[in-house]
Amino acid sequence: MTTYTKKLPYGVWDFTRGWVFLAIALLALIALGIYAYSIQLIEGEVVTGMRNLGTMGGATWGLYISFLIYFIGLSFTGISIAAMIRLLGLEKIKPIARMAEALTVIALILGALVVIVDLGQPARALVNLFRYARPGSPFFGTFTLVIAGYLFASQVYLYLDGRRDAAILAKIPGKLQGFFRIWSAGYKDTPAEQERHHQTSFWLAIAIVPLLITAHSTLGFVFGLQVGRPGWFSSLQAPEFVALAGVSGIGFLIIIAAILRKVLNTEEILDIDVFKWLSDFLMVLIVVYLYFLVVEWLTITYTAQSHELIIANAMYTGDYAWAYWLTVAALVIPLLLLGWQFIFKRYQMAWIVISGFLVNVAAIVKRYLIVVPSQTHGKLLPYEIGSYTPTWIEYSVVLGLFALGTLLYISFIKIFPIMEVIEIVEGGE
Amino acid sequence: MRVSRKDFLKLSATSAGVLTVGSLLSGGMKTLVPFEKGKVKLGEKFVPTTCWIGKQDCGLIARVVNGRLVSFQGHPDHPRNKGALCPKGVAQIQSIYDPNRVKTPLKRTNKKGIPGTWEQISWDEALNTVADRVKDVLERDPRLFVWQKGRSKAKDFYDDAFVKSTGATKLHHGAFCSDAGYRALEYTIGMHGVLHPDMRHTKYLLSWGWNITNAGGNKFCWLTWPQQLVEAKERGMKVAAIDPRLRGPAHFADDWLAIKPGTDLALALAICNLLIEKDSIDHEYLRKYTNSPFLIGDDGMFLRADPEEGEEEGKPLVLDQATGLLVPFDTEGMTPVLDGKTSVSGGAKTAFRLFKESLSGSSAEWAGDICGIHASQIEQVVNDLAANAMIGSTIQIDGKMLPYRPVAIMAYHMSQQELGFQALRAMLFVSMLLGSVGAVGGQFSDFTWKEYKNWSKFADISVKEGPYNIYLSGSKFFPINSNNSSLVAKVINNPEQYEVDYIPEVFLLHHVNPLGSFPDREENIKAYEKIKFVAAIDPWLSLTADLFADIVLPAATIEKYEGPMSATDQYVDATAMRIPPIEPLFQSRGEIDIYLDLCERIGVLYGEGGYLDIVNNELKLRDTDFALPLNVKPTPREIFDKYSKLNGLEGIEFFETEGVQLKGPVSSSKYYPYAMETPFGGILPHRLYGESLLVAQHRMMEMGADEIYYRDYTAFPTWRDLTVESSPPEYDLLLMSTHMIEFKQSRTPIPMMIEMVPNQVVEMNPKDAKAKRIADGDEVIVESIHAITGETRQVKSIAAYRENIRPGVICMPHHFGEYVKHPWVKGTGPSPNSLYFTGEGYVTNTADQTYLVKVKVTKAIGGK
Amino acid sequence: MTSYGMVIDLNRCTGCRSCMTACKVENNTTQGNFWMYTFRFEEGEFPNTRVWFMPRPCMHCQNAACVKVCPVGARYKREDGLTATDWDRCIGCRYCEVACPYGVNCFNWKDPNKNHYLDWNDPELLAETGGGLPYANPDLKEEYGDENRRIAGGGHHKGVIEKCTFCVHRVEDGLQPACADVCPTRVIHFGDFDDKNSEVSKLLKNNPNFRLLEEMGTEPNVHYIGGQPPTSKTRQIEEVKARV
Ligand SMILES: Nc1nc2c(c(=O)[nH]1)N[C@H]1C(S)=C(S)[C@@H](COP(=O)(O)OP(=O)(O)OC[C@H]3O[C@@H](n4cnc5c(=O)[nH]c(N)nc54)[C@H](O)[C@@H]3O)O[C@H]1N2
Ligand SMILES: Nc1nc2c(c(=O)[nH]1)N[C@H]1C(S)=C(S)[C@@H](COP(=O)(O)OP(=O)(O)OC[C@H]3O[C@@H](n4cnc5c(=O)[nH]c(N)nc54)[C@H](O)[C@@H]3O)O[C@H]1N2
Ligand code: SF4
Ligand code: SF4
Ligand code: SF4
Ligand code: SF4
Ligand code: SF4
Ligand SMILES: [Mo]
Repeated sequence: MTTYTKKLPYGVWDFTRGWVFLAIALLALIALGIYAYSIQLIEGEVVTGMRNLGTMGGATWGLYISFLIYFIGLSFTGISIAAMIRLLGLEKIKPIARMAEALTVIALILGALVVIVDLGQPARALVNLFRYARPGSPFFGTFTLVIAGYLFASQVYLYLDGRRDAAILAKIPGKLQGFFRIWSAGYKDTPAEQERHHQTSFWLAIAIVPLLITAHSTLGFVFGLQVGRPGWFSSLQAPEFVALAGVSGIGFLIIIAAILRKVLNTEEILDIDVFKWLSDFLMVLIVVYLYFLVVEWLTITYTAQSHELIIANAMYTGDYAWAYWLTVAALVIPLLLLGWQFIFKRYQMAWIVISGFLVNVAAIVKRYLIVVPSQTHGKLLPYEIGSYTPTWIEYSVVLGLFALGTLLYISFIKIFPIMEVIEIVEGGE
Repeated sequence: MRVSRKDFLKLSATSAGVLTVGSLLSGGMKTLVPFEKGKVKLGEKFVPTTCWIGKQDCGLIARVVNGRLVSFQGHPDHPRNKGALCPKGVAQIQSIYDPNRVKTPLKRTNKKGIPGTWEQISWDEALNTVADRVKDVLERDPRLFVWQKGRSKAKDFYDDAFVKSTGATKLHHGAFCSDAGYRALEYTIGMHGVLHPDMRHTKYLLSWGWNITNAGGNKFCWLTWPQQLVEAKERGMKVAAIDPRLRGPAHFADDWLAIKPGTDLALALAICNLLIEKDSIDHEYLRKYTNSPFLIGDDGMFLRADPEEGEEEGKPLVLDQATGLLVPFDTEGMTPVLDGKTSVSGGAKTAFRLFKESLSGSSAEWAGDICGIHASQIEQVVNDLAANAMIGSTIQIDGKMLPYRPVAIMAYHMSQQELGFQALRAMLFVSMLLGSVGAVGGQFSDFTWKEYKNWSKFADISVKEGPYNIYLSGSKFFPINSNNSSLVAKVINNPEQYEVDYIPEVFLLHHVNPLGSFPDREENIKAYEKIKFVAAIDPWLSLTADLFADIVLPAATIEKYEGPMSATDQYVDATAMRIPPIEPLFQSRGEIDIYLDLCERIGVLYGEGGYLDIVNNELKLRDTDFALPLNVKPTPREIFDKYSKLNGLEGIEFFETEGVQLKGPVSSSKYYPYAMETPFGGILPHRLYGESLLVAQHRMMEMGADEIYYRDYTAFPTWRDLTVESSPPEYDLLLMSTHMIEFKQSRTPIPMMIEMVPNQVVEMNPKDAKAKRIADGDEVIVESIHAITGETRQVKSIAAYRENIRPGVICMPHHFGEYVKHPWVKGTGPSPNSLYFTGEGYVTNTADQTYLVKVKVTKAIGGK
Repeated sequence: MTSYGMVIDLNRCTGCRSCMTACKVENNTTQGNFWMYTFRFEEGEFPNTRVWFMPRPCMHCQNAACVKVCPVGARYKREDGLTATDWDRCIGCRYCEVACPYGVNCFNWKDPNKNHYLDWNDPELLAETGGGLPYANPDLKEEYGDENRRIAGGGHHKGVIEKCTFCVHRVEDGLQPACADVCPTRVIHFGDFDDKNSEVSKLLKNNPNFRLLEEMGTEPNVHYIGGQPPTSKTRQIEEVKARV
């Protein structure tokens, strides 16, 4: 006969001072974002830095769409890590599985929101996007598929994966007991059930993989299929997207894991091996992505016709050079750091985290470089070269979204264990 | 009947994209109708009227829905635009409703010389104030009342009547427009106009300073000429552009001679010289219709027969080829020697011989150096002229055999250059030598071959002793006088220097904005400060009104009756009328209304010699059943109703429904001077030799006028160095100025147009710019210098790289200007008129304003 | 079948931009939105300079990139070849705009009523007109086509896209598009390419012609005669810097 600790694990439902302060700070940022967006709603998108292509010499897609790609990219990783853990039985990194799933769900929510924010007629969109949905449009792929289908799938995944823990925690009396009961939905952690649980998660994982690939590819197609925009039309787009998505996602997971490791002082569970694995994986992905960058550079500089070249020059030497080389630096430096650790098998948390941070900077800037230059400089008719500078409205909205995401994340941590619960037996008879 | 939408559509269909080439040229009436259906919608009506912006009054169909003007379309039957419109014609709808119009009569409440602060007053108060001031000066000295008008629209009978009935001194805009050219043509062939071709038949056209894609050309506002040009080009006409900029002629030019501004006289002389050298000249025309065969004595005067009684002067003599005797030039059946000399009076020579000799130095190389073009290009032009002129050939038109010389020149505003009067004479000589004047496909100047009053006046140019009137007419300074209001300003600023003994006190400005449009701005501002009372009739608060008007009277724009207007495109004769499609907006009123009331209050409306009497005269109503009674004030509509009836129409309703009265093709006997019963309507002989110019010069000398005034009064056009060229060398660029398609003159501010051209620029060739480290789009300082006084002026603008302008020349278009109270005009940049100068060295010998000055351009410090 | 399109004769174009202006007035487009745009070009160096002009409406492509990408079918092809925009359905994603190689789409960044050049609600003017854009064209709010969708005119809503409609409201009424109708030198010919005897078909048959960015495979229904397409050496002069 075993009894369980009275205390919920991993700081669930224990609202520390720090947590509260952070939450308040985040709410403030969210308020700022809402304020900025309300101005945009009232005045119209004239308050953003976006303008028409052609005679207005602007970019009609800007920061918002850049972050859309970035967020969707993050989500990619979560779900794929989780899936891999199931499919390849990567027991070693099992502890971060749920962190990843949570990241996926939240990143997707942000993605959905940032699209809405970009629309001129958001209210209509909520109806029309479904009522008049045109599967032919890559946009459909991205939004209806990625955001609706994919968001749903990953939530189901998170849910099922959590049932076992819910069941365990449901035995602990407290405010959340009811909530855990509902989640566990009658799941009794019997061996039989455990087996079924594993089975479903396994098949779910398998089911999610293709969904995942198509989703991210279609996102690539949003740009990749556009003959009309020099710099976008490239078969590379889709795989390139997936690669960079991986890079940023893993990077982000590293940061999350590292933080939770500290604040939840779970060093022994999230031991260095987890990070070793992540760091090596990240390294591989960076290599793959850098390879794409080089191929891109080669194809443009050797095979491209004048229009592609104008953009290439804008990126390599012109108006956007600072951003482009920042990206490269923010990828190469981590590569060196991680590579060095890999070779000498000496892993350092600090270096790994910094790398995780840098690759995310790279990802954000590169998304911007995919979206913007092809509009401001990608002119097939002799329009004037344009320019785009985001306004404080756009920055505030994006910041607000980040804050919202973080708030959701830390809230989730407070209501559900972010890592699988290990049963602690307190003596017996 | 009103034009129903259906009928209108039938019409408008003719104006649709599908047009047979010929219809572009003229009439344009019966063509393919691709679209037919369409109905008048509820509350919709179509009112024919005419463009209010431009100077050729294109026909409009105003679409009015529930009392609101919704759009203007070109009137399909109007010969001048055949259903089309230029951008201003379309966009004017915006300015009609512009809330920045002058809405009520305004009274100034602050001191003059600075942007005004205004009090809205009643029409009564406004009209009385103006009337009292006018009455007051008229009683003391009518010379103190000056009435000034700018670029006119429609027939100016109603304002002429005002001038005549009040005895005001009239100033107009001609001296800033193209009057140097008018004077040259009036002097030489008696026509009132500058130069244009018989586009129907021309095969080789010299676009000699014609802004094809933006403006004018001779007489027209714009639209008609490009239509005719396009058609002619598709028929195979070749165009050579003589122009410092290619922007105007653009791709319509087959050759481009990028001439240095102001040097056209030299080029014309060289062309004359080469034509004579290769004997590509029309001897018959020169002998028969010009004074080329006249014998000139060593005193420069014609040899004359002894006067028969009745004449105070004998007939000029020529040398009879057959007999070798000196005979009066008009001796029947005699052929005079064109190129010869005699032994009499120190070896008198024919005018032609003298001309030839005067050209001896004018080689292609000589002109090439002056004009900054290749001698070979000049030779090319001469060859093309000679080849296309087909001298001697004839063609049958309406059963008559007429001379066929399908070469001609188009020139207009470019005649406003220092030697403009003589330059245009020399340019006309090119056509005269080729015999293309009045020939089929040849050189024309006015739309009908009618003698202009100056033709006989210029036979004996009067040069009086002072004191002079304020524009110095008949003076020893400018005996031929184009009435230059900037010179008037100069006179007002130094009366005694010009032997003027009074300064006007009251100015009434009508449709004119001297401070915006007329160089030189500073001179004008100084003068206006001396004028006691200024009233302006204007729909807008023009710069002049804003700075100096005491009273502003709000004129209606298109919402008024105005006319009659010639609607001819030179081939189809027609008359049109401006019909108000809606009631006048705000408290604005049509000018005729205003003048009727003003005259009544001044006391010159009724009775013999009064306003109404003169209107009767000008509209030829006098002594007809339709004459206006001289004791009742009519409405403008009534005036035009009578006019319409007089002209065999049921009344003004005709114009209110049809818009245009088509009178059919201009008969060849009216159009071609060779087809008239007396060739050239007897306005002969054409003055190759300007004897009376020489006489005038002698008179000026006798009266002790300075050389600067008389030096260009020469019998033949003679090249001399331009005054601007004596400017210090660091002022290394020539500033020229042109018109833009988007704007009309000192700009009636149409937001839609300003949006397309948001600011003034300094067009410069990248070679010049780079040499001065000026990048495209840099802010620059343009500083001009007065070659004689050394005075300098500055404006700030933005550099624009242009490969279509010749190096050494920069161009700032007209139309811009500071301080105008309109949200769209504010800050759009300076007018070149604050850089130009007026007066000696900057006007022609005929008192015509030039638009040329030496400048230096430097990058503005802190300029972006 | 009908396939409306244009034949634009560059030889005749004076670059006067009447077409742009007529389009703006007829369709009540707002400040900064140019459905028609006439390029003014310069090539070469003095004295071998060439100056020429090129009007650019929407190409009403048969294989329209903009239609393919529209997520809600607000941008669609009509039976008669017109590429239409349903301003009641558009969600303002501006995907059509980035997809179009010709840069012809215009978004309503601002509330149109606050973006019509002047203050049309000035009290004294209001007294005359009752307020609002005085020259508002009543035809633009109607439904057009068998599909009965509102596709005419511009500046209807903040946050929706708009572009050249080929003046559907005029064409259905038997009129030429405003730009074709106004052109002083008859540069723009509008008609039915499926009608072999139409003026446009004939012009196409009898003249060497080209379409812009043929290589994009968009199959434009706007053809050019009397000139060559712009090249990388073609510089724009006097460009309109559209601002909201
Ligand atoms: N730098 C430079 N200057 C130039 C030129 C140039 O090429 N370069 N061009 C010159 C030429 S060719 C000319 S003709 C002159 C023209 O110069 P102006 O004769 O002054 O002609 P606008 O400036 O068109 O008109 C002057 C005023 O008339 C008002 N107006 C317009 N319509 C009406 C109307 O129906 N009734 C009344 N009462 N007023 C009206 C306008 O608001 C404006 O304030 O400018 C000359 N100035
Ligand atoms: N859109 C528009 N149309 C107009 C007007 C307007 O304001 N706007 N104004 C109307 C009026 S009042 C007039 S007078 C006419 C004027 O009509 P135009 O005389 O046809 O046109 P401008 O713009 O005066 O310029 C004349 C041309 O001569 C060139 N040029 C300048 N200086 C010289 C020179 O010294 N020598 C030579 N060979 N060429 C030179 C210029 O580059 C330009 O191409 O336009 C009329 N039409
Ligand atoms: S050409 Fe002159 S008159 Fe004709 S529409 Fe244009 S502005 Fe009006
Ligand atoms: S209206 Fe005609 S001539 Fe003028 S720019 Fe447009 S197409 Fe060219
Ligand atoms: S031009 Fe652009 S907007 Fe027009 S149909 Fe083609 S792709 Fe669509
Ligand atoms: S902006 Fe409107 S028309 Fe364009 S793609 Fe989006 S929904 Fe369709
Ligand atoms: S067809 Fe109509 S909508 Fe299209 S550019 Fe011409 S005028 Fe504008
Ligand atoms: Mo003029």
